[in-house]
Amino acid sequence: MSIRQNIRDIFHGAAYGAYERELRIQAAELNDLFLLLCYMEIVGLPNPATLYLLDVYPYLLEQFHIWHKRMGMARSPLGTLPCC
Amino acid sequence: MRHLLDKKVLFFGGKGGVGKTTSASATALAASRAGKRVLLVSTDPAHSTSDIFEREIGPEPVELLPNLWGLEIDGALESQRYVANVKEQIKGLFGHHILKEANKQIDLAASMPGAEEMALFDRIGGLIRGEDTRFDLIIFDTAPTGHTLRLIRMPELMEAWIRALSRSRQAMLGIEQDDKTDPVLMSLTERLHGLREFRARLLSPRISAFMLVLVAERLPIEETARALEQLKQAGVTVGGLVVNRVLPATSPDPFLQSRHSQEVIYLDEIDRRFAHLSRIRVPQLASDVHGVKTLEALSEILVP
Repeated sequence: MSIRQNIRDIFHGAAYGAYERELRIQAAELNDLFLLLCYMEIVGLPNPATLYLLDVYPYLLEQFHIWHKRMGMARSPLGTLPCC
Repeated sequence: MRHLLDKKVLFFGGKGGVGKTTSASATALAASRAGKRVLLVSTDPAHSTSDIFEREIGPEPVELLPNLWGLEIDGALESQRYVANVKEQIKGLFGHHILKEANKQIDLAASMPGAEEMALFDRIGGLIRGEDTRFDLIIFDTAPTGHTLRLIRMPELMEAWIRALSRSRQAMLGIEQDDKTDPVLMSLTERLHGLREFRARLLSPRISAFMLVLVAERLPIEETARALEQLKQAGVTVGGLVVNRVLPATSPDPFLQSRHSQEVIYLDEIDRRFAHLSRIRVPQLASDVHGVKTLEALSEILVP
């Protein structure tokens, strides 16, 4: 990486760092809400749309993995939803 | 009732045992004789259309008579089918590890209470949207009132739910990545379109109508009044009432005479309370309805 690139990153971080961090947190929270809405049954709430979500489950599994890592859990905390 | 044959979707509902299946079957027969290609669908888990036509009817349309097909939808089977279909769909899209976990997840979700009802709902939705272009008119012989009214409210409920999910997904994508190719959002959007079309056709007075069947007795009258209220709330058009099994006035038998004089009171009540709806009276027939012969007699009364 060139010095020029490093300097650019430093200024970028100084200018936008806090803002981007805020956005990342917000995105992560929305992501969690979405996961919860899709996996409501696992926490014991009836979900009227279960069948219509079956085909998006595989995509959500990846997100679920990111979630439990981010929450500081090495493995899936839910027995009914095994991950890694 | 002839004008109802120009609709695309007719429901027959009412309290258990009042003659929904016979009314639906007779109307289907009349429509098929009038040159419509008709599909008679039973959604009651306790199917009885096969008993009326005296032959086996399964989960795929079978031709019963010229221009008349029958179909008996089974929730358990539909849910299995749905799951198999989803598994097939995602097969090529993911790696082995994810697929294994996802399939486990899918099996679990499909075994939840309500999955069968939803699979049934999905199949009915497909029929109402006109996915099967072989038919001009689809007649639903429904399960007793409560169950059916729930089913009718479902597109609205599901639509709200899926819309909320889409919004949540969109809000997230708006921050993280702003592309329109998110497979989750695409799937949700497609569902939403399907549900909107289902609801639009269900609520269109030009396309769909709900017939309520009752007999001249206290409990069916009250249930009909409640059903009318709920259908009105849901925005579904009511095609009319079929007042079934009206006793003959001219019987010399004192028992029947006494039944008849009581019935007259209820018939008056029906005329008074449901004056704004078209009503058709079907006399008590000399024998019960099964087989095409007796069905013909009934269909001539219903659609003269």
